[in-house]
Amino acid sequence: MAFDIFVIAEHRDGKLKKSTGELLTVARKLAAAGGGKVLAAAIGAGASKTASDLAAWGAGTVLIAEGPALEHYSSLRWTRVICDAIATRKPAVILMTVSSLSRDLAGRIAARANAVLASDCTALSAEGGGFKLVRPILAGRALVTAAHAGPAPLLATLRPNVFAAEKPAQPGAGSIETLAVADDPKDARVTVKSFVAGGGTRPELAEAAIVVSGGRSLGSADAFKIIYELADSLGAAAGASRAAVDAGYAPHSIQVGQTGKTVSPVLYIACGISGAIQHLAGMRTSKYIVAINTDANAPILKLADYAIIGDEFEVVPLLTEEFKKALKT
Amino acid sequence: MKIAVCVKLVPSTTALIRVVPGGKSLDFTGVEMVLSPYDEFALEEALKVRDKIPGSEILVVSVGGEASTKILEHAYALGVENCVLVKAPDADAPAAARCAAAVLKPYTPSLVICGRQSIEDDQWQFTGMLAELLDLPHVTAVSSFALAADNVMAECKRRIEGGEETIDVALPALISAEKGLNDPRSPTLKGRLNAKKKQIAVKMPAELGIDAGALSPSLKIEAYAPPPPKSPGKVIAKPPKEAAAELVRLLREEAKVI
Repeated sequence: MAFDIFVIAEHRDGKLKKSTGELLTVARKLAAAGGGKVLAAAIGAGASKTASDLAAWGAGTVLIAEGPALEHYSSLRWTRVICDAIATRKPAVILMTVSSLSRDLAGRIAARANAVLASDCTALSAEGGGFKLVRPILAGRALVTAAHAGPAPLLATLRPNVFAAEKPAQPGAGSIETLAVADDPKDARVTVKSFVAGGGTRPELAEAAIVVSGGRSLGSADAFKIIYELADSLGAAAGASRAAVDAGYAPHSIQVGQTGKTVSPVLYIACGISGAIQHLAGMRTSKYIVAINTDANAPILKLADYAIIGDEFEVVPLLTEEFKKALKT
Repeated sequence: MKIAVCVKLVPSTTALIRVVPGGKSLDFTGVEMVLSPYDEFALEEALKVRDKIPGSEILVVSVGGEASTKILEHAYALGVENCVLVKAPDADAPAAARCAAAVLKPYTPSLVICGRQSIEDDQWQFTGMLAELLDLPHVTAVSSFALAADNVMAECKRRIEGGEETIDVALPALISAEKGLNDPRSPTLKGRLNAKKKQIAVKMPAELGIDAGALSPSLKIEAYAPPPPKSPGKVIAKPPKEAAAELVRLLREEAKVI
Protein backbone atom coordinates (compact mmCIF):
# COMPACT_ATOMS: atom_id res chain seq x y z
CA MET A 1 0.00 0.00 0.00
CA ALA A 2 1.35 3.36 -0.94
CA PHE A 3 1.84 5.78 1.89
CA ASP A 4 2.24 9.55 1.87
CA ILE A 5 4.62 11.61 3.97
CA PHE A 6 3.53 14.98 5.31
CA VAL A 7 6.16 17.56 6.25
CA ILE A 8 5.33 20.55 8.44
CA ALA A 9 7.72 23.21 7.15
CA GLU A 10 9.23 25.80 9.45
CA HIS A 11 9.84 29.29 8.21
CA ARG A 12 9.98 32.83 9.42
CA ASP A 13 8.18 35.26 7.10
CA GLY A 14 8.53 32.90 4.18
CA LYS A 15 12.19 32.00 4.62
CA LEU A 16 12.55 28.25 5.13
CA LYS A 17 14.64 26.93 7.98
CA LYS A 18 17.55 24.68 7.05
CA SER A 19 16.03 21.84 9.05
CA THR A 20 13.02 21.76 6.72
CA GLY A 21 15.40 20.59 3.95
CA GLU A 22 16.41 17.73 6.24
CA LEU A 23 12.78 16.78 6.80
CA LEU A 24 12.05 16.77 3.08
CA THR A 25 15.10 14.64 2.34
CA VAL A 26 13.89 12.04 4.85
CA ALA A 27 10.34 12.38 3.50
CA ARG A 28 11.47 11.65 -0.06
CA LYS A 29 13.27 8.48 1.03
CA LEU A 30 10.27 7.24 3.02
CA ALA A 31 7.83 8.09 0.22
CA ALA A 32 10.03 6.33 -2.34
CA ALA A 33 10.07 3.20 -0.17
CA GLY A 34 6.30 3.22 0.05
CA GLY A 35 5.46 4.46 -3.43
CA GLY A 36 3.76 7.49 -1.93
CA LYS A 37 3.80 11.24 -2.28
CA VAL A 38 5.53 14.01 -0.36
CA LEU A 39 3.29 16.77 0.91
CA ALA A 40 4.56 19.86 2.69
CA ALA A 41 2.56 22.44 4.61
CA ALA A 42 3.62 25.98 5.41
CA ILE A 43 1.53 27.96 7.87
CA GLY A 44 1.48 31.58 8.94
CA ALA A 45 2.62 34.97 7.66
CA GLY A 46 4.68 34.61 4.48
CA ALA A 47 3.79 30.91 4.01
CA SER A 48 3.09 31.22 0.28
CA LYS A 49 6.62 32.52 -0.31
CA THR A 50 7.99 29.10 0.68
CA ALA A 51 6.20 27.26 -2.14
CA SER A 52 8.98 27.27 -4.74
CA ASP A 53 11.63 26.31 -2.17
CA LEU A 54 9.48 23.46 -0.92
CA ALA A 55 9.09 22.23 -4.50
CA ALA A 56 12.86 22.48 -5.02
CA TRP A 57 13.28 20.22 -1.98
CA GLY A 58 10.98 17.68 -3.60
CA ALA A 59 7.50 18.42 -2.32
CA GLY A 60 4.89 17.12 -4.76
CA THR A 61 2.12 19.09 -3.11
CA VAL A 62 2.52 22.30 -1.16
CA LEU A 63 -0.26 23.17 1.26
CA ILE A 64 -0.42 26.82 2.21
CA ALA A 65 -2.33 28.27 5.15
CA GLU A 66 -2.12 31.99 5.76
CA GLY A 67 -4.34 34.95 6.38
CA PRO A 68 -5.35 37.32 9.16
CA ALA A 69 -6.21 34.50 11.62
CA LEU A 70 -2.71 33.07 11.18
CA GLU A 71 -0.80 36.35 11.30
CA HIS A 72 0.46 35.51 14.79
CA TYR A 73 1.23 32.08 16.16
CA SER A 74 -1.52 30.33 18.07
CA SER A 75 -1.09 26.72 19.14
CA LEU A 76 -4.81 26.02 18.80
CA ARG A 77 -5.13 27.48 15.29
CA TRP A 78 -1.98 25.71 14.10
CA THR A 79 -3.22 22.45 15.59
CA ARG A 80 -6.52 22.84 13.80
CA VAL A 81 -4.93 23.55 10.40
CA ILE A 82 -2.52 20.63 10.71
CA CYS A 83 -5.08 18.16 12.06
CA ASP A 84 -7.62 19.09 9.38
CA ALA A 85 -4.95 18.42 6.74
CA ILE A 86 -4.07 15.09 8.37
CA ALA A 87 -7.73 14.10 8.44
CA THR A 88 -8.24 14.76 4.73
CA ARG A 89 -4.83 13.70 3.33
CA LYS A 90 -4.32 10.68 5.60
CA PRO A 91 -0.52 10.58 5.56
CA ALA A 92 1.27 7.60 7.09
CA VAL A 93 3.95 9.81 8.60
CA ILE A 94 3.96 13.45 9.71
CA LEU A 95 7.41 15.00 10.11
CA MET A 96 8.37 18.02 12.21
CA THR A 97 11.73 19.39 13.35
CA VAL A 98 12.59 19.40 17.03
CA SER A 99 11.95 23.10 17.77
CA SER A 100 9.85 25.38 19.94
CA LEU A 101 7.04 24.85 17.46
CA SER A 102 6.99 21.06 17.61
CA ARG A 103 7.59 21.07 21.37
CA ASP A 104 4.45 23.17 21.68
CA LEU A 105 2.29 21.32 19.16
CA ALA A 106 3.29 17.68 18.79
CA GLY A 107 1.55 16.28 21.87
CA ARG A 108 -1.63 18.13 21.06
CA ILE A 109 -1.60 17.07 17.39
CA ALA A 110 -0.93 13.46 18.40
CA ALA A 111 -3.92 13.50 20.74
CA ARG A 112 -6.30 15.11 18.26
CA ALA A 113 -5.20 13.20 15.15
CA ASN A 114 -4.80 9.89 17.03
CA ALA A 115 -1.19 9.79 15.88
CA VAL A 116 1.67 8.00 17.59
CA LEU A 117 4.38 10.48 18.59
CA ALA A 118 8.11 9.75 18.52
CA SER A 119 10.12 12.79 19.59
CA ASP A 120 13.76 13.62 18.84
CA CYS A 121 14.33 10.83 16.33
CA THR A 122 17.95 10.37 15.23
CA ALA A 123 17.08 7.66 12.67
CA LEU A 124 13.90 6.87 10.77
CA SER A 125 13.34 4.41 7.95
CA ALA A 126 10.60 2.44 6.25
CA GLU A 127 10.81 -1.23 7.06
CA GLY A 128 8.53 -4.18 6.41
CA GLY A 129 5.51 -2.06 5.57
CA GLY A 130 5.99 -0.03 8.76
CA PHE A 131 8.58 2.29 10.18
CA LYS A 132 11.60 1.90 12.39
CA LEU A 133 13.11 4.70 14.42
CA VAL A 134 15.79 5.45 16.98
CA ARG A 135 15.39 8.05 19.68
CA PRO A 136 17.46 8.93 22.72
CA ILE A 137 15.82 8.77 26.14
CA LEU A 138 17.06 9.78 29.57
CA ALA A 139 18.83 12.68 27.89
CA GLY A 140 20.90 10.44 25.70
CA ARG A 141 21.94 7.96 28.39
CA ALA A 142 20.17 5.25 26.38
CA LEU A 143 18.86 4.83 22.85
CA VAL A 144 15.55 3.22 22.04
CA THR A 145 14.84 1.43 18.79
CA ALA A 146 11.12 1.36 18.19
CA ALA A 147 8.79 0.15 15.47
CA HIS A 148 5.50 1.49 14.30
CA ALA A 149 3.25 -0.51 12.01
CA GLY A 150 0.19 1.72 11.82
CA PRO A 151 -2.68 2.02 11.15
CA ALA A 152 -2.43 5.22 13.22
CA PRO A 153 -0.16 7.79 11.57
CA LEU A 154 3.32 8.27 13.00
CA LEU A 155 4.21 11.79 14.07
CA ALA A 156 8.00 11.98 14.24
CA THR A 157 10.05 14.99 15.29
CA LEU A 158 13.59 14.87 13.93
CA ARG A 159 16.67 16.34 15.59
CA PRO A 160 18.17 19.11 13.48
CA ASN A 161 21.65 18.55 11.95
CA VAL A 162 21.39 14.76 12.32
CA PHE A 163 19.82 13.93 8.96
CA ALA A 164 21.40 14.94 5.65
CA ALA A 165 19.74 17.64 3.56
CA GLU A 166 20.06 16.82 -0.16
CA LYS A 167 18.10 18.55 -2.85
CA PRO A 168 16.72 16.16 -5.47
CA ALA A 169 18.02 16.32 -9.05
CA GLN A 170 14.46 16.94 -10.18
CA PRO A 171 12.29 19.28 -8.14
CA GLY A 172 8.88 18.12 -6.97
CA ALA A 173 5.75 19.21 -8.79
CA GLY A 174 5.00 21.61 -5.96
CA SER A 175 1.37 22.01 -6.94
CA ILE A 176 -0.04 24.55 -4.55
CA GLU A 177 -3.22 24.02 -2.60
CA THR A 178 -4.66 26.45 -0.12
CA LEU A 179 -5.76 25.13 3.22
CA ALA A 180 -8.99 26.58 4.49
CA VAL A 181 -8.74 27.93 8.00
CA ALA A 182 -11.84 27.13 10.00
CA ASP A 183 -12.41 29.97 12.42
CA ASP A 184 -13.43 28.57 15.78
CA PRO A 185 -13.72 31.20 18.52
CA LYS A 186 -12.36 28.63 21.00
CA ASP A 187 -9.03 28.86 19.20
CA ALA A 188 -8.68 32.47 20.33
CA ARG A 189 -8.09 31.28 23.90
CA VAL A 190 -4.34 31.42 23.35
CA THR A 191 -2.49 33.91 21.15
CA VAL A 192 0.97 35.33 20.84
CA LYS A 193 0.68 39.00 21.71
CA SER A 194 4.21 40.04 20.92
CA PHE A 195 7.62 38.77 19.93
CA VAL A 196 10.85 40.42 20.95
CA ALA A 197 13.89 39.38 18.97
CA GLY A 198 16.84 38.70 21.18
CA GLY A 199 20.07 36.80 21.37
CA GLY A 200 21.87 39.18 19.04
CA THR A 201 23.37 38.11 15.77
CA ARG A 202 24.49 34.58 16.66
CA PRO A 203 22.67 31.61 15.18
CA GLU A 204 20.08 29.76 17.21
CA LEU A 205 21.71 27.35 19.65
CA ALA A 206 19.53 24.31 18.95
CA GLU A 207 20.02 24.59 15.18
CA ALA A 208 23.56 25.92 14.86
CA ALA A 209 26.10 23.94 12.87
CA ILE A 210 28.85 25.00 15.30
CA VAL A 211 28.49 25.58 19.03
CA VAL A 212 31.15 27.01 21.37
CA SER A 213 30.44 26.46 25.06
CA GLY A 214 32.03 27.67 28.26
CA GLY A 215 32.01 26.29 31.78
CA ARG A 216 32.10 27.54 35.35
CA SER A 217 35.89 27.63 35.34
CA LEU A 218 35.65 30.89 33.38
CA GLY A 219 34.83 32.43 36.75
CA SER A 220 32.69 35.39 35.70
CA ALA A 221 30.17 36.70 33.20
CA ASP A 222 32.88 39.03 31.89
CA ALA A 223 35.23 36.16 31.17
CA PHE A 224 32.56 34.61 28.93
CA LYS A 225 33.60 37.25 26.42
CA ILE A 226 36.34 34.91 25.15
CA ILE A 227 33.67 32.26 24.43
CA TYR A 228 31.51 34.76 22.54
CA GLU A 229 34.53 35.96 20.53
CA LEU A 230 35.48 32.43 19.55
CA ALA A 231 31.86 31.73 18.61
CA ASP A 232 31.71 34.90 16.49
CA SER A 233 34.94 34.05 14.68
CA LEU A 234 33.20 30.89 13.45
CA GLY A 235 29.68 32.21 13.03
CA ALA A 236 28.77 29.79 15.80
CA ALA A 237 26.20 29.78 18.58
CA ALA A 238 27.39 30.20 22.16
CA GLY A 239 26.50 27.75 24.92
CA ALA A 240 27.18 27.24 28.60
CA SER A 241 27.24 24.45 31.16
CA ARG A 242 24.64 24.29 33.93
CA ALA A 243 27.28 25.18 36.51
CA ALA A 244 28.14 28.35 34.57
CA VAL A 245 24.46 29.27 34.26
CA ASP A 246 23.75 28.56 37.93
CA ALA A 247 26.72 30.74 38.85
CA GLY A 248 25.19 33.57 36.82
CA TYR A 249 27.93 33.75 34.18
CA ALA A 250 25.58 33.05 31.26
CA PRO A 251 21.79 33.15 30.72
CA HIS A 252 19.71 29.98 31.02
CA SER A 253 18.62 30.45 27.41
CA ILE A 254 22.05 29.18 26.30
CA GLN A 255 22.40 26.31 28.77
CA VAL A 256 23.35 23.04 27.09
CA GLY A 257 22.42 19.84 28.88
CA GLN A 258 19.63 17.87 30.40
CA THR A 259 17.93 20.85 32.03
CA GLY A 260 18.74 23.15 29.15
CA LYS A 261 18.95 22.70 25.41
CA THR A 262 19.91 19.63 23.49
CA VAL A 263 22.24 20.36 20.59
CA SER A 264 23.66 18.17 17.87
CA PRO A 265 25.88 20.46 15.80
CA VAL A 266 28.51 19.36 13.32
CA LEU A 267 31.18 20.84 15.61
CA TYR A 268 30.96 21.35 19.38
CA ILE A 269 33.81 23.15 21.13
CA ALA A 270 33.75 22.73 24.93
CA CYS A 271 35.99 25.22 26.72
CA GLY A 272 36.76 24.50 30.35
CA ILE A 273 33.82 22.11 30.64
CA SER A 274 34.64 18.97 32.57
CA GLY A 275 31.66 17.05 31.19
CA ALA A 276 29.13 16.25 33.90
CA ILE A 277 26.61 13.59 32.79
CA GLN A 278 23.94 16.23 32.56
CA HIS A 279 26.05 18.30 30.14
CA LEU A 280 27.15 15.35 28.01
CA ALA A 281 23.48 14.43 27.68
CA GLY A 282 22.84 17.66 25.84
CA MET A 283 25.65 17.49 23.30
CA ARG A 284 26.85 13.92 22.89
CA THR A 285 25.25 13.49 19.47
CA SER A 286 27.44 16.30 18.07
CA LYS A 287 29.37 15.06 15.05
CA TYR A 288 32.81 16.39 16.11
CA ILE A 289 33.63 17.35 19.67
CA VAL A 290 36.62 19.49 20.65
CA ALA A 291 37.62 19.84 24.30
CA ILE A 292 39.89 22.48 25.74
CA ASN A 293 40.60 21.62 29.33
CA THR A 294 43.37 21.79 31.91
CA ASP A 295 42.45 18.36 33.26
CA ALA A 296 43.57 15.49 31.02
CA ASN A 297 41.20 13.18 32.95
CA ALA A 298 38.05 15.24 32.52
CA PRO A 299 35.09 13.08 31.36
CA ILE A 300 34.57 15.29 28.30
CA LEU A 301 37.85 13.97 26.87
CA LYS A 302 36.30 10.52 26.47
CA LEU A 303 33.90 12.02 23.93
CA ALA A 304 36.32 14.46 22.33
CA ASP A 305 37.61 13.90 18.80
CA TYR A 306 40.28 16.54 19.36
CA ALA A 307 41.57 17.91 22.62
CA ILE A 308 43.99 20.54 23.77
CA ILE A 309 45.13 20.15 27.34
CA GLY A 310 45.62 23.70 28.48
CA ASP A 311 44.23 26.79 30.09
CA GLU A 312 41.18 28.09 28.26
CA PHE A 313 42.16 31.70 29.03
CA GLU A 314 45.30 31.16 27.00
CA VAL A 315 44.11 28.72 24.33
CA VAL A 316 40.68 30.16 23.45
CA PRO A 317 41.88 33.63 22.35
CA LEU A 318 44.69 32.00 20.33
CA LEU A 319 42.13 29.74 18.69
CA THR A 320 39.96 32.76 17.86
CA GLU A 321 42.93 34.32 16.06
CA GLU A 322 43.71 31.09 14.20
CA PHE A 323 40.10 30.66 13.05
CA LYS A 324 39.95 34.28 11.88
CA LYS A 325 43.13 33.73 9.86
CA ALA A 326 41.99 30.39 8.46
CA LEU A 327 38.53 31.57 7.48
CA LYS A 328 39.92 34.58 5.64
CA THR A 329 41.85 32.36 3.25
CA MET B 1 -9.03 28.84 42.35
CA LYS B 2 -8.59 25.13 41.78
CA ILE B 3 -5.05 24.37 40.64
CA ALA B 4 -3.76 20.99 39.50
CA VAL B 5 -0.14 19.92 39.15
CA CYS B 6 1.11 16.76 37.43
CA VAL B 7 4.40 15.29 38.66
CA LYS B 8 6.54 12.32 37.72
CA LEU B 9 9.15 10.19 39.44
CA VAL B 10 12.26 9.83 37.27
CA PRO B 11 15.88 8.64 37.56
CA SER B 12 18.14 11.41 38.86
CA THR B 13 20.05 13.43 36.28
CA THR B 14 23.39 12.08 37.46
CA ALA B 15 22.45 8.39 37.55
CA LEU B 16 24.22 6.01 35.22
CA ILE B 17 21.63 3.86 33.47
CA ARG B 18 22.60 0.34 32.43
CA VAL B 19 21.05 -1.57 29.59
CA VAL B 20 20.23 -5.19 30.46
CA PRO B 21 22.35 -7.50 28.28
CA GLY B 22 20.32 -8.35 25.19
CA GLY B 23 18.86 -4.84 25.16
CA LYS B 24 15.34 -5.84 26.19
CA SER B 25 15.12 -3.45 29.14
CA LEU B 26 16.90 -0.90 31.31
CA ASP B 27 18.29 -1.71 34.72
CA PHE B 28 17.29 0.86 37.34
CA THR B 29 18.63 -1.14 40.30
CA GLY B 30 20.22 1.22 42.78
CA VAL B 31 19.36 4.28 40.70
CA GLU B 32 18.16 7.22 42.78
CA MET B 33 14.64 8.26 41.76
CA VAL B 34 13.64 11.90 42.08
CA LEU B 35 10.92 14.39 41.24
CA SER B 36 11.44 15.39 37.59
CA PRO B 37 13.33 18.72 37.88
CA TYR B 38 10.86 20.77 35.84
CA ASP B 39 8.02 19.58 38.08
CA GLU B 40 9.64 21.46 40.96
CA PHE B 41 8.98 24.71 39.11
CA ALA B 42 5.40 23.58 38.41
CA LEU B 43 4.75 22.92 42.12
CA GLU B 44 6.28 26.23 43.15
CA GLU B 45 4.18 28.19 40.64
CA ALA B 46 1.03 26.44 41.92
CA LEU B 47 1.90 27.36 45.51
CA LYS B 48 2.52 30.98 44.50
CA VAL B 49 -0.83 31.26 42.72
CA ARG B 50 -2.68 29.55 45.57
CA ASP B 51 -1.17 31.85 48.17
CA LYS B 52 -2.12 34.90 46.12
CA ILE B 53 -5.77 34.00 45.59
CA PRO B 54 -7.76 33.36 48.79
CA GLY B 55 -9.72 30.12 48.86
CA SER B 56 -7.47 28.36 46.37
CA GLU B 57 -6.40 24.74 46.60
CA ILE B 58 -3.93 22.44 44.85
CA LEU B 59 -4.44 18.88 43.66
CA VAL B 60 -1.29 17.00 42.68
CA VAL B 61 -1.55 13.97 40.40
CA SER B 62 1.10 11.41 39.58
CA VAL B 63 0.79 8.38 37.34
CA GLY B 64 3.26 5.66 38.20
CA GLY B 65 4.14 2.89 40.60
CA GLU B 66 4.14 2.65 44.38
CA ALA B 67 7.53 4.43 44.54
CA SER B 68 5.86 7.61 43.28
CA THR B 69 4.38 8.13 46.77
CA LYS B 70 7.78 9.67 47.58
CA ILE B 71 7.21 12.71 45.39
CA LEU B 72 3.59 13.07 46.51
CA GLU B 73 4.74 13.10 50.15
CA HIS B 74 7.14 15.85 49.09
CA ALA B 75 4.20 17.77 47.58
CA TYR B 76 2.25 17.40 50.84
CA ALA B 77 5.28 18.63 52.77
CA LEU B 78 5.30 21.72 50.53
CA GLY B 79 1.72 22.29 51.62
CA VAL B 80 -0.55 21.19 48.78
CA GLU B 81 -4.08 20.17 49.76
CA ASN B 82 -4.59 16.84 47.96
CA CYS B 83 -2.57 14.19 46.17
CA VAL B 84 -3.71 11.37 43.90
CA LEU B 85 -1.59 8.48 42.68
CA VAL B 86 -2.90 6.62 39.66
CA LYS B 87 -1.28 3.23 39.80
CA ALA B 88 -0.05 2.50 36.31
CA PRO B 89 3.67 1.77 36.63
CA ASP B 90 4.23 1.04 32.95
CA ALA B 91 2.18 3.88 31.50
CA ASP B 92 3.84 5.74 28.63
CA ALA B 93 3.07 9.42 28.03
CA PRO B 94 -0.24 8.92 26.17
CA ALA B 95 -1.45 6.41 28.77
CA ALA B 96 -0.39 8.70 31.60
CA ALA B 97 -2.16 11.63 29.96
CA ARG B 98 -5.36 9.58 29.74
CA CYS B 99 -5.07 8.65 33.43
CA ALA B 100 -4.37 12.23 34.52
CA ALA B 101 -7.21 13.53 32.35
CA ALA B 102 -9.61 11.06 33.98
CA VAL B 103 -8.70 12.45 37.40
CA LEU B 104 -8.71 16.11 36.34
CA LYS B 105 -11.85 16.24 34.22
CA PRO B 106 -14.27 15.95 37.17
CA TYR B 107 -12.01 18.21 39.28
CA THR B 108 -12.41 21.09 36.77
CA PRO B 109 -9.22 22.97 37.60
CA SER B 110 -8.82 26.57 36.43
CA LEU B 111 -5.09 26.08 36.04
CA VAL B 112 -3.08 22.94 35.32
CA ILE B 113 0.69 23.21 35.68
CA CYS B 114 3.21 20.57 34.56
CA GLY B 115 6.96 20.46 33.99
CA ARG B 116 7.89 21.12 30.35
CA GLN B 117 9.04 17.50 29.98
CA SER B 118 9.77 14.49 32.14
CA ILE B 119 13.50 13.94 31.98
CA GLU B 120 12.97 10.21 31.50
CA ASP B 121 11.08 9.75 28.24
CA ASP B 122 12.01 13.22 26.95
CA GLN B 123 9.02 13.06 24.62
CA TRP B 124 7.50 16.47 25.48
CA GLN B 125 4.22 14.72 24.80
CA PHE B 126 2.26 14.57 28.04
CA THR B 127 1.35 18.24 28.44
CA GLY B 128 -0.02 18.90 24.96
CA MET B 129 -1.90 15.64 25.05
CA LEU B 130 -3.41 16.35 28.48
CA ALA B 131 -4.43 19.84 27.37
CA GLU B 132 -6.19 18.37 24.33
CA LEU B 133 -7.94 15.69 26.40
CA LEU B 134 -9.16 18.35 28.84
CA ASP B 135 -9.95 20.80 26.02
CA LEU B 136 -7.75 23.48 27.61
CA PRO B 137 -5.52 25.96 25.78
CA HIS B 138 -1.88 25.36 26.64
CA VAL B 139 1.44 27.18 26.66
CA THR B 140 4.69 25.17 26.66
CA ALA B 141 7.91 25.94 28.53
CA VAL B 142 6.73 29.10 30.27
CA SER B 143 9.53 31.18 31.79
CA SER B 144 7.26 33.85 33.29
CA PHE B 145 3.61 33.64 34.35
CA ALA B 146 1.41 36.50 35.52
CA LEU B 147 -2.31 36.32 36.22
CA ALA B 148 -4.30 39.42 35.28
CA ALA B 149 -6.32 41.17 37.99
CA ASP B 150 -9.46 39.32 36.90
CA ASN B 151 -7.79 35.92 37.41
CA VAL B 152 -9.22 34.91 34.03
CA MET B 153 -6.45 35.98 31.68
CA ALA B 154 -2.79 35.24 32.15
CA GLU B 155 0.32 36.52 30.42
CA CYS B 156 3.05 33.98 29.75
CA LYS B 157 6.53 34.43 28.37
CA ARG B 158 8.23 31.73 26.37
CA ARG B 159 11.71 31.70 24.84
CA ILE B 160 11.76 30.47 21.28
CA GLU B 161 14.32 30.49 18.48
CA GLY B 162 15.52 34.03 18.00
CA GLY B 163 13.67 35.70 20.85
CA GLU B 164 10.87 35.69 23.35
CA GLU B 165 7.13 35.44 22.85
CA THR B 166 4.54 37.02 25.11
CA ILE B 167 1.38 34.95 25.06
CA ASP B 168 -2.08 35.71 26.37
CA VAL B 169 -4.04 32.70 27.54
CA ALA B 170 -7.57 32.51 28.90
CA LEU B 171 -8.18 30.32 31.95
CA PRO B 172 -8.95 27.49 32.44
CA ALA B 173 -5.61 26.64 30.86
CA LEU B 174 -2.58 24.40 31.08
CA ILE B 175 0.96 25.71 31.26
CA SER B 176 4.24 23.82 31.38
CA ALA B 177 7.16 25.17 33.37
CA GLU B 178 10.61 26.06 32.07
CA LYS B 179 13.61 26.25 34.36
CA GLY B 180 13.81 29.73 35.87
CA LEU B 181 10.03 30.24 36.08
CA ASN B 182 10.51 30.70 39.82
CA ASP B 183 12.76 29.71 42.70
CA PRO B 184 11.34 26.49 44.18
CA ARG B 185 11.09 26.39 47.98
CA SER B 186 12.07 23.47 50.18
CA PRO B 187 9.63 21.88 52.61
CA THR B 188 9.70 23.28 56.16
CA LEU B 189 9.91 21.01 59.22
CA LYS B 190 6.29 21.88 60.02
CA GLY B 191 5.36 20.98 56.46
CA ARG B 192 7.06 17.63 56.77
CA LEU B 193 5.22 16.87 60.02
CA ASN B 194 1.87 17.91 58.53
CA ALA B 195 2.53 15.72 55.51
CA LYS B 196 2.59 12.64 57.71
CA LYS B 197 -1.08 13.19 58.58
CA LYS B 198 -2.13 13.40 54.93
CA GLN B 199 -3.40 10.50 52.87
CA ILE B 200 -2.52 9.92 49.24
CA ALA B 201 -5.63 8.84 47.33
CA VAL B 202 -4.71 5.80 45.25
CA LYS B 203 -6.72 5.05 42.11
CA MET B 204 -6.48 2.17 39.70
CA PRO B 205 -6.90 3.02 36.00
CA ALA B 206 -9.93 0.72 35.79
CA GLU B 207 -11.69 2.78 38.50
CA LEU B 208 -11.21 5.80 36.26
CA GLY B 209 -12.74 4.02 33.31
CA ILE B 210 -9.43 3.38 31.56
CA ASP B 211 -9.16 -0.08 30.07
CA ALA B 212 -6.05 -2.10 29.31
CA GLY B 213 -6.12 -1.06 25.65
CA ALA B 214 -5.79 2.61 26.57
CA LEU B 215 -2.75 1.73 28.69
CA SER B 216 -0.87 -0.28 26.10
CA PRO B 217 2.27 1.39 24.76
CA SER B 218 1.84 3.58 21.68
CA LEU B 219 5.28 2.80 20.23
CA LYS B 220 6.56 -0.77 20.13
CA ILE B 221 10.00 -0.65 21.72
CA GLU B 222 12.25 -3.29 20.16
CA ALA B 223 15.54 -2.66 21.90
CA TYR B 224 17.47 -0.42 24.26
CA ALA B 225 21.12 0.37 23.71
CA PRO B 226 23.75 2.40 25.48
CA PRO B 227 25.00 5.41 23.50
CA PRO B 228 27.52 4.23 20.88
CA PRO B 229 31.09 4.29 22.19
CA LYS B 230 33.46 6.81 20.68
CA SER B 231 36.93 5.86 19.59
CA PRO B 232 39.62 7.76 21.47
CA GLY B 233 40.28 11.20 20.07
CA LYS B 234 43.52 13.03 19.35
CA VAL B 235 45.16 14.99 22.10
CA ILE B 236 47.15 17.80 20.52
CA ALA B 237 50.21 17.90 22.74
CA LYS B 238 51.88 21.11 21.65
CA PRO B 239 52.47 24.54 23.14
CA PRO B 240 49.25 26.62 23.09
CA LYS B 241 49.90 28.63 19.93
CA GLU B 242 50.97 25.65 17.84
CA ALA B 243 48.18 23.54 19.32
CA ALA B 244 45.60 26.13 18.28
CA ALA B 245 46.99 26.24 14.74
CA GLU B 246 47.10 22.44 14.56
CA LEU B 247 43.50 22.13 15.76
CA VAL B 248 42.32 24.54 13.09
CA ARG B 249 44.25 22.53 10.48
CA LEU B 250 42.72 19.22 11.65
CA LEU B 251 39.20 20.64 11.68
CA ARG B 252 39.73 21.93 8.18
CA GLU B 253 41.68 19.11 6.52
CA GLU B 254 40.75 15.98 8.48
CA ALA B 255 37.26 16.58 9.86
CA LYS B 256 36.41 19.05 7.08
CA VAL B 257 33.95 20.92 9.26
CA ILE B 258 35.16 24.49 8.77
